[in-house]
Amino acid sequence: MTTSSSALPPVDRRTVLATGAAAGLVAAAGTGAAAADDASAKPKAQRYFQHGVASGDPRPKKVIIWTRVTPTPASKPGSGKGPTVDVRWQVAKDKRFRKVVKRGTFTTSAARDHTVKLDVTGLKPATWYFYRFTFDGAHSPVGTTRTAPRARSTPRNLRLGVVSCANLQAGWFSAYRGVAARNDLHAVLHLGDYLYEYAPGQYGMGQDNVDIREHDPAREMVSLSDYRRRHAQYKTDPDLQAAHAKYPWIVTWDDHEVTNDQYDTGAENHDAGEGNYLRRRARAHRAYDEWMPVQLNGTTELGDGDRLYRRLKFGQLAEISMLDLRTYRSEQVGTPVVDPAVSDPDRTITGAKQLRWLKKSLQRRKALWKVIGNPVMITPVTFGSLPGDLLDPINDVTGLLPEDGAPYNVDQWDGYTADRKEVFTFIKDHNVENALFITGDIHSGWACELPYDAGSYPLSGSAGVEFVCSSVTSNNLKDITGTPAGTTSRLVEAAIMAANPYIKYLNFDDHGFSVLDLTAKRAQMDWYVIGDRADKGTSITYETSFRTKTGTNQISRVGRPVA
Amino acid sequence: MCESSARRRDGEPTPYDVGLAEIAAGRRTVLKLGGAGLVFSSAAAGGALGTDAAAAAGKKLRKTKKRAYVLVVDGCLPEEIDSGLTPNLAGLRDGGFRYSRAASKPIMETIPNHVMMMTGVRPDRSGVPANSIYDRKEKVIRDLDRPRDLKADTIIERMNRRGLRTGTVLSKEYLYGIFGTRATDRWEPRPIVPVSGHAPDIFTMEAALAMLDELDPHLMFVNLGDVDRLGHTDFTGPSGVQAARRLGLIDTDLQVGRFIAALRASGRWEHSMVIVLADHSMDFSRPDRVVSLQGPFEDDPFLAGKFVIADNGGADLVYWTGPDRQREKAVKKMRRIAREVPGVLNCKNPQSSWMRLGPEAGDLVVFCKSGWRFSDPDPVTSNPIPGNHGHPATRPIPFFISGGHPRIPRRKASSKVAHTVDVAPTVADFFGIKGQPRGGYDGRSRL
Repeated sequence: MTTSSSALPPVDRRTVLATGAAAGLVAAAGTGAAAADDASAKPKAQRYFQHGVASGDPRPKKVIIWTRVTPTPASKPGSGKGPTVDVRWQVAKDKRFRKVVKRGTFTTSAARDHTVKLDVTGLKPATWYFYRFTFDGAHSPVGTTRTAPRARSTPRNLRLGVVSCANLQAGWFSAYRGVAARNDLHAVLHLGDYLYEYAPGQYGMGQDNVDIREHDPAREMVSLSDYRRRHAQYKTDPDLQAAHAKYPWIVTWDDHEVTNDQYDTGAENHDAGEGNYLRRRARAHRAYDEWMPVQLNGTTELGDGDRLYRRLKFGQLAEISMLDLRTYRSEQVGTPVVDPAVSDPDRTITGAKQLRWLKKSLQRRKALWKVIGNPVMITPVTFGSLPGDLLDPINDVTGLLPEDGAPYNVDQWDGYTADRKEVFTFIKDHNVENALFITGDIHSGWACELPYDAGSYPLSGSAGVEFVCSSVTSNNLKDITGTPAGTTSRLVEAAIMAANPYIKYLNFDDHGFSVLDLTAKRAQMDWYVIGDRADKGTSITYETSFRTKTGTNQISRVGRPVA
Repeated sequence: MCESSARRRDGEPTPYDVGLAEIAAGRRTVLKLGGAGLVFSSAAAGGALGTDAAAAAGKKLRKTKKRAYVLVVDGCLPEEIDSGLTPNLAGLRDGGFRYSRAASKPIMETIPNHVMMMTGVRPDRSGVPANSIYDRKEKVIRDLDRPRDLKADTIIERMNRRGLRTGTVLSKEYLYGIFGTRATDRWEPRPIVPVSGHAPDIFTMEAALAMLDELDPHLMFVNLGDVDRLGHTDFTGPSGVQAARRLGLIDTDLQVGRFIAALRASGRWEHSMVIVLADHSMDFSRPDRVVSLQGPFEDDPFLAGKFVIADNGGADLVYWTGPDRQREKAVKKMRRIAREVPGVLNCKNPQSSWMRLGPEAGDLVVFCKSGWRFSDPDPVTSNPIPGNHGHPATRPIPFFISGGHPRIPRRKASSKVAHTVDVAPTVADFFGIKGQPRGGYDGRSRL
């Protein structure tokens, strides 16, 4: 999402360093380089497998498994150093690996930053598996993963953890701890902003940008080495490691995996001094491909393309279409000036090819729930009468830009209304049922119906439903205004909901994760919130739930979370 | 199009005229049941009940206490069951076995989908692809409302041949017409609303209740037409208000509630399967959102005078009437011209694997977008009504199975797709009627 520079001193934020109180709160744990240095004294397994294990993109008969091996102390992430080595892998039905069903050897090297990523094929549908890697006689931590149900099956439910926007500098990943602690999920959906590009001091916690932990490398990531190191650093976080090890992940990126407010040929947070933007993006995508358990261009091979949008099917119950809303989009319109270009049909957020693909996804009759993994909000948002001094902070956290009472949101679908109209019209013309947009990006919890025409809602009808999870740590409105929870934000929430009757829930105060549960009767999203981001052991509590019954495109509050 | 003015040759008898003639000729026995003077006709001996041999084969089956009721809430949208206006329907759905994504089949019109329900086969096998077609032999656009238009075997007849009683309580004239005397017992609908050509649900339900009490057929096929009819003529529909339609939903729900109450009170519920579904849903269009292909086609010198359009509300069936050797070229031109007309969604080959409409559907099907309607041949007078169906926007339907029989799942839902064509195989499965129509069912049992 759009991140704000308003809380920073009026100098180039790339040169700003953490100072004073901010620096005092920085935790030493978890930097990739430091971890590697300390590793020599650890047992072999910990030295070799410092970044945990992960799995992703579950299919009925296959799933991706991932790890990163550190074969020598010099083989630090992003270093380009270290030998070519063979890593063995095993997939078993039991955690002691007595019933190994698949095994093999994967050769990795510095050319791929010593990452290991492969498709395990020939598995059984809807089945839990254990997996691990072995190098030099040492085993990695054991991961668990689950294949998708067979295409024609009718699973009783599909339950997903939903997360987005994890800024390591802004706090501890307690939301990931909450996800990992659950035993009832089938997979985790990550909607983007898995990591952030900023240097220490540039984007931390709250108004003062306090860095709870400092990014490594201690500069904005630009080079391939930078991106690799940043990925490596995030993957040393124990909560993130636990969540990766527990479930297969289904991921997409938003902007910060490359840099803030990126579009097809550039980004807000990129200038000529940082080199060619497309080369920078290619490096970011390369590192993402190496470090994430995901298929780019439909394969686990590296360097064969970076198409991230793809479908994953879960029997006849659900099909998830993961979108990439950064790589093909037109540049955002200028802000905060009203710009009629937001409705220019020549501008796009999806790109023409992905839009055709999305429409095919919606038209397919393969599954009941057409889940769209949507990196940025699609619900139109207009402002009611809000105090002027709140507009800037709202803008900071949401990117919603008010103008003469006719507000819109230029980094999200509100800035590309022609594409949204085309999607909604397609839904209406083909009477696509149960389109469910699951979204991240905006650091706040939302539950919305999707009006065909916001002005005449509800008479105009609803195209579907959007549930938005909050951020894992990234700043929300409360953090930016510096006001206590339940004060300023409540005023803003009430004003926005009053002006947009199709928005039924809005939480600008909390960070956390969500649980999405799909059945043949309804889809329900539960929001869980964490306490203090700066407290590693902070509490995790249930906040609220909303559901939509099949075929209705309407939402209502539910009194309790799914079991 | 599903509107009131039935299309037939001048002077051709209406389906009701035909029914009266059958009664007058003694081929049906007239019964007057209930306090409201409801009229039913039953098959004369040796008629619909089938041969003695077949009846003997079904002797065991005949003793069954099982009852199946197919209630069609004509034109209902699946989300309307959650509108709060239909507590009885919602209760039936939630207590039984629901299909959360059910759909009408092309053309999303009343007659073909009722025929699919009772035959279990697609239009290319039943001969009934739409409400209105161009009859190439008679050279006239007409409704498919004649019994002989339906060329496939129905579950009604299959049950009859096994000695089981069947009943039709059909509120619409053309449904009465096409199903003709197939059922053992048939309601002779009265009164008929002159403009809409249907009997109000309150009378339809009176008939269903009387048939239940007095004739107790094993299978009863009921069409409740108010929701559809009020939707067609609801000029508040395009605004989203849908005032008349909402009133219709409330009343139809009450009528369904009466029927279920009667089943429970009579003890039939425990032996019953009640299938509730719609034949299609409904879409509304403003007066300025009208598509007419007649003009654009006539403007093309190659097509002019050599085509006929059968308007079905949300779908135009286009027939090439020129030389056969020019058909391919003509269809290409039609497609190209139609695609450029505002409001047109797409063009489909009626013989494609998705459509399966058969030769009666002509050479090209053109669908309109949501919020539009066809009006052909005259853009003003041919179809003035705001509520229409037939196009893809009107595919989703409610479909759920309820009832007290042990085979009916309780409080369950399926993510599979159910279609109107699944009704006949479901009824056959419920009664244990073995075998299938020649060529098999196109639908499948949803039990």
